[in-house]
Amino acid sequence: MEGGLAGFMLGETPIPTRFDDERRAAEWRLVQDARSGDLQAFERLYRDHERRVFALCLRLSSNPELAEELTQEVFIRAWKKLASFRGESAFSSWLYPLTVNVARSERRSRMRRLARVFPTDDVAAFEPPAPPPTPETAFDLEKAMAALPPGARAVFVLHDVEGRTHEETASLLGLAPGTSKAQLHRARRLLREALES
Amino acid sequence: MTCAELDDRLDAWVDRTLPEAEQRDVESHLAACPACREQERRLRQLLAHASALPRSVSPPRDLWPEISRRIERERAWSWPRVGSWQPLLAVAAAVVIALLAVVLRQPAPTPAHTVVIPSPAADTYQTQPAAVHMDPALAAMERDYQAAANALLAALQERKDELEPETLASVERNLAVIDEALAELHRALEKDPARPELGRMLVWTHRKRVDVLRKMVKYSTAL
Repeated sequence: MEGGLAGFMLGETPIPTRFDDERRAAEWRLVQDARSGDLQAFERLYRDHERRVFALCLRLSSNPELAEELTQEVFIRAWKKLASFRGESAFSSWLYPLTVNVARSERRSRMRRLARVFPTDDVAAFEPPAPPPTPETAFDLEKAMAALPPGARAVFVLHDVEGRTHEETASLLGLAPGTSKAQLHRARRLLREALES
Repeated sequence: MTCAELDDRLDAWVDRTLPEAEQRDVESHLAACPACREQERRLRQLLAHASALPRSVSPPRDLWPEISRRIERERAWSWPRVGSWQPLLAVAAAVVIALLAVVLRQPAPTPAHTVVIPSPAADTYQTQPAAVHMDPALAAMERDYQAAANALLAALQERKDELEPETLASVERNLAVIDEALAELHRALEKDPARPELGRMLVWTHRKRVDVLRKMVKYSTAL
């Protein structure tokens, strides 16, 4: 599914169209077939959504290989949880928080692994510092985003790239709204500095 | 308003979430301060870049073969679909009944000392048969299994809204099959309380019942 009114949209209410209704009905049939064990139907759902899920995983992880693993994990979890999708929203809306959650879980488990080696109470200490932008590097927003600390990057991706509201961003990332805003401020400042260079 | 104060408000200003009372101050400062105007311009440029990024990116390779392989592997080991586990239970129950038929053809050993145990607590799906006479160790074991089953049934009852109606119906049907096998074993034990084969089959069937319930609880928790 590419963008579109029934795509990954929150924060504003799309105007329902007949096309949306038909697509939603077709998608619901695929989900029901997949729930009864039809792997081909699930593959259709995968093909429709893989690019959106991969893009989000790529930006949240800033690691192409890890993004592939995360994308696979998202769809395996989606398969297991299909029974909880009731068809009341677009499949993409159901898949979105699942994707963010998989990416967050991976980051948490990576931090736990690090914490076993370097015990400390300061979780933020594990976030790699943003490397100073080099003047000779042409500005590339994707590269600059990849260099952000993971917490700030996640908020920037969800709020400024994906267009989520502050409340949605905070909720998806399990943050207090104030923390989410502070992380966004930090991300924007670091990116502006990269832009200036 | 100082430049530092403006910097604190710049995000809310460009996001249009700044309280109305502060908007005029920001406007005045921006009108008078070229450095802050430049920061505002860069921020707006950054946000324009960000919102224009493609929302879809193709993975560099086809990820589906690995996904489908892992799903197939999960399917082989887990309990996710009604249709895949129902025959297993039917087979388990059929094995109990077939074994029972074989055992009942054997000559009965000498009767042992027996006690009466109370009927196990009625569960959500199927009540157990009435009190029977059996070996005390076997009776204790049966009570333990029944207690475990009751706890799992209570957990399942709490999560029943998470399960599809057809899954619940299938659980009920399969538990009924197992309970029928247990009832059959109880009847056989009433006639021949000391037969060790019957005791082993009773334990085995209880274990299967608890396994089924545990898997269903695990499945409902994973949803």
